Amino acid sequence: MTATLNQLMTQDTYQINGKIFTSRLLVGTGKYATNELMGECLEASGTEIVTVALRRVNLDKKGEKNLLDFIDPKKYTLLPNTAGCYSAEEAIRVAHLARATGISDFVKLEVLYDEKTLLPDPIATLEATTILVKEGFTVMTYTSDDPVMAQKLEQAGAHAVMPAGSPIGSGQGVLNPNNIRIILEKLKCPVLIDAGVGSASDVAVAMELGVVAVLLNTAIAHAKDPLKMAYAMKNGCEAGRLSYLAGRIPKKLYAQASTPQKDF
Amino acid sequence: MVLSQGCEVFLKIVVNGENKELTGPASLEELIRQLGVHKETVVAEVNRQIIQLDKRSGLQLSDGDQIELIQFVGGG
Repeated sequence: MTATLNQLMTQDTYQINGKIFTSRLLVGTGKYATNELMGECLEASGTEIVTVALRRVNLDKKGEKNLLDFIDPKKYTLLPNTAGCYSAEEAIRVAHLARATGISDFVKLEVLYDEKTLLPDPIATLEATTILVKEGFTVMTYTSDDPVMAQKLEQAGAHAVMPAGSPIGSGQGVLNPNNIRIILEKLKCPVLIDAGVGSASDVAVAMELGVVAVLLNTAIAHAKDPLKMAYAMKNGCEAGRLSYLAGRIPKKLYAQASTPQKDF
Repeated sequence: MVLSQGCEVFLKIVVNGENKELTGPASLEELIRQLGVHKETVVAEVNRQIIQLDKRSGLQLSDGDQIELIQFVGGG
């Protein structure tokens, strides 16, 4: 009997540092109008890994509900990020704080260089990756789409390398698919597209390149209807993955008829 | 500095960048309770040292301590 869509998707697993996942969509928890909407969108997206950030408690809002009131850490793997860090030292501190919660030893390592582009500082990123891997973290490193840098990060022990498709929150999609192809050819560790996707078709395009998964936030949170977009992203991700596995036809210059051209 | 029990002291500390004054001796756990912060989901640093949940009640605050209380928020 041929496999159903559900069977195909659930059997198609991948691992990050030995932990097995099925959903190939990682979803951020920032920028939602409400935490309730965020929770619904996470559910609709089918995601298993959600990114979170760490910030100071607002002391003026006593008893306010916490993000974890809306995200069950037993259901989702929490992927704390080091967003907003501009040095290896800061990023390492945030990773330590995240691990001290006792909830996750995963870290989405992000060491930025420039506020306008949110491009990573490659040298500091490499330094922090090396240290955090040695300290036993599961390190998923955000990087540019530079194939050399991606290889350096893998050599430093990154458990996943996550090139940006385009600048964070820009919604421009995958701007340089050739660099992603080269990264995929060179690396053995999981490669994810992190950031820049704007629509379900962007996710499908990324998945068709052969990346293991796609991480996004703004594209859902700031869509006109975030819940519909969450469903769309799930389907776009699965469509792209299946399309990659199925193998596309080669592109040809001239037409090839689908219908017999004689005997009518 | 660990203060002896029963001896009332006046502490000036900084919590998340805000100056606070409290009557001690007070432990980190007491401070977190007084501030109404959810103790299970908050991470605490005193003078840049992370203090684990089970060590908070034994840590007596000292004058001039810099305390950071951090929690998960939405992020991408």
